[in-house]
Amino acid sequence: MHSTSSIIRFVIVMTSIVALILAALQNGLKARHDRNESLYSKKATLAAVSNEIDGDFSKLTDADIQNIFDNQIVQSVIDASGKIYSEEELLEMGVKNGKAENLDLAKEWKKPAEERLRPVYKFTNNSGEDFYILYTRGKGLWDEIWGNIALKSDINTVAGVSFDHKAETPGLGAEIKENKSWVRQFIGKKIYDGLELASITVRKGGAKDPNHEVDGISGATITADGVTAMLETGLEAYRPYLETLKN
Amino acid sequence: MADTAISEKKKTIAFGKKERKLLTDPINDDNPITVQVLGICSALAVTTGMKNAAVMAVAVIFVCTFSNVITSLFRKSIPKQVRMIVQLVIIATLVTVVELTLKAYAFESYKQLSVFIGLIITNCIIMGRLEAFAMANRPYESALDGLGNGIGYGLILLIVAFFREFFGKGEIFGAKIIGATSEYAINTTESTLFGWYQGNNLMVLFPSAMFVIAVLIWAHRAWNTKLVDVS
Amino acid sequence: MGELVNIFIKSAFIENLALSYFLGMCSYLAVSKTVKTAFGLGLAVIFVLGITMPINWIINSYLLSENGIFGVDLTFLRFILFIAVIASMVQLVEMVVEKYSPALYNSLGIFLPLITVNCAILGGSLFMVSKEYNFSESVAFGLGGGFGWFLAIVAIAAIREKIKYSNVPPALRGLGMAFLLTGLMGMAFMGLMGIDPAAF
Repeated sequence: MHSTSSIIRFVIVMTSIVALILAALQNGLKARHDRNESLYSKKATLAAVSNEIDGDFSKLTDADIQNIFDNQIVQSVIDASGKIYSEEELLEMGVKNGKAENLDLAKEWKKPAEERLRPVYKFTNNSGEDFYILYTRGKGLWDEIWGNIALKSDINTVAGVSFDHKAETPGLGAEIKENKSWVRQFIGKKIYDGLELASITVRKGGAKDPNHEVDGISGATITADGVTAMLETGLEAYRPYLETLKN
Repeated sequence: MADTAISEKKKTIAFGKKERKLLTDPINDDNPITVQVLGICSALAVTTGMKNAAVMAVAVIFVCTFSNVITSLFRKSIPKQVRMIVQLVIIATLVTVVELTLKAYAFESYKQLSVFIGLIITNCIIMGRLEAFAMANRPYESALDGLGNGIGYGLILLIVAFFREFFGKGEIFGAKIIGATSEYAINTTESTLFGWYQGNNLMVLFPSAMFVIAVLIWAHRAWNTKLVDVS
Repeated sequence: MGELVNIFIKSAFIENLALSYFLGMCSYLAVSKTVKTAFGLGLAVIFVLGITMPINWIINSYLLSENGIFGVDLTFLRFILFIAVIASMVQLVEMVVEKYSPALYNSLGIFLPLITVNCAILGGSLFMVSKEYNFSESVAFGLGGGFGWFLAIVAIAAIREKIKYSNVPPALRGLGMAFLLTGLMGMAFMGLMGIDPAAF
């Protein structure tokens, strides 16, 4: 039977050792953690133009991704009116390095739509063609979903999309991220119908309009509806900016 | 004569029959999942792919072995009143170490396993072994026991993951084997022998893990009949 | 208020901790041989979840986050603090039950301390963090989750009691059958996916 004081001594010693070990590990690894997070979201952004990147996209190394971002991407941040912010303005607003890649998008989407900052990534592929990667966020079945949509320089044709989610069901809603053939359907679709912004709709039961619709995913109607909704509101929010690009 | 008898007793065997039993029992007769009914929770959620299952298995082997060793080293100094909390803190610390390491060196796995890394803490196998073995045995044996149980667990995990990944997605460790597009080694839309094959999407959903384990237990007990009705 | 009821119903039925996420399986399978023990354990789980969720929320928001009283990101201590809170709460519940209702304490026996390592309890807290619920939402989530787990374990205990008298192959008897049943129940609960309680 241990005395009370020896118990207290034991607990204090143990707590201190544990706290020290973990704090040391956390500090030592923090740089890697941040780098990993940043590369993860960069890879997701690039996934929207995976078709335009030479080689197997899934085999891209961290160095490759950083390389593409440094040399083939021009980052900008716009607001709801389409105004582009300079790096200095972004730095003043607290965005690290004044770069779009450091926007806290989850936080931005908690603000009202008029106050949101949105990223735009202009990607130039190895043949010199330009693509514009936009970002949108919405609600899936269980929790948030988000995605990137890349437009060709005609600001109409979709060059690719990539989606991600917080908690959709594996095998069902999660297919928006995993199912590469479903995602590939978006390539070649148009977001404008004449002068009207028609966006892309995920249609349960199969796409009917070859320009503006894609097939749904069985068992994932609500997630798919979420994708349709976030594409519509997302593109609508970028409209002022897209108009300036078209001119 | 007496000298050799004493020296034989003093000779410590590094890896004798008893030690081997510590390693092999949890694989068959005393398997944590199929016999002891422990560690089920994580076995279900992470077995959608063999890669995730393998990472989880390694994590559990690590935590189980080292928590066994640490607890065994301090088993005489841990005050009885705070025994459970101390054990939990040891486990929680090791799991945090695993999480921080995964986040730094295996980010993809970290993202995919998410909440379930933390749930290793409540993996009954680890706590169970601490109470049942490490508190009453020496560090070396405890290490072997932890290792054995971790391996027994990992084995079941990989078997379940194999069935779920192969019949659900047509992949093994991410390598595309059989499926409906040209990315797969066997393209069912073009193959004449396997054209009828369609992946079973149910395998990717949670309940399928239950069914696979049920069949595994059935097979295990039919083969090892002394396990019938044991739990 | 409506939003809270919404979360309660969601976590009890549509995101059932036991049958949709398969958390707390160890005790779920080991203790469900009779309805009586299942009932007792289920009630204890509701209670522990309902208490630990808000406490863990407070710890997470005020101690561990960068905006908390320490001002530093201490989230790497989350696992340790959460499990310590759970262990302490279970210890407390044990002492209270032993003092005020010895009969209940005796019938629950070993199952009470076992709640500490029930993945559903820690899992519930970790989900609460990942879903970023606020305080009242955490309480609703805890009570609802506990209630759902309670329903699940009582249901399977009832089925297992009946199945004891059926002609099950020897190698499948007991544990194997329980897994099969849980899988089927899980499939049934999948039918509830996507229901938005707010629509009612």
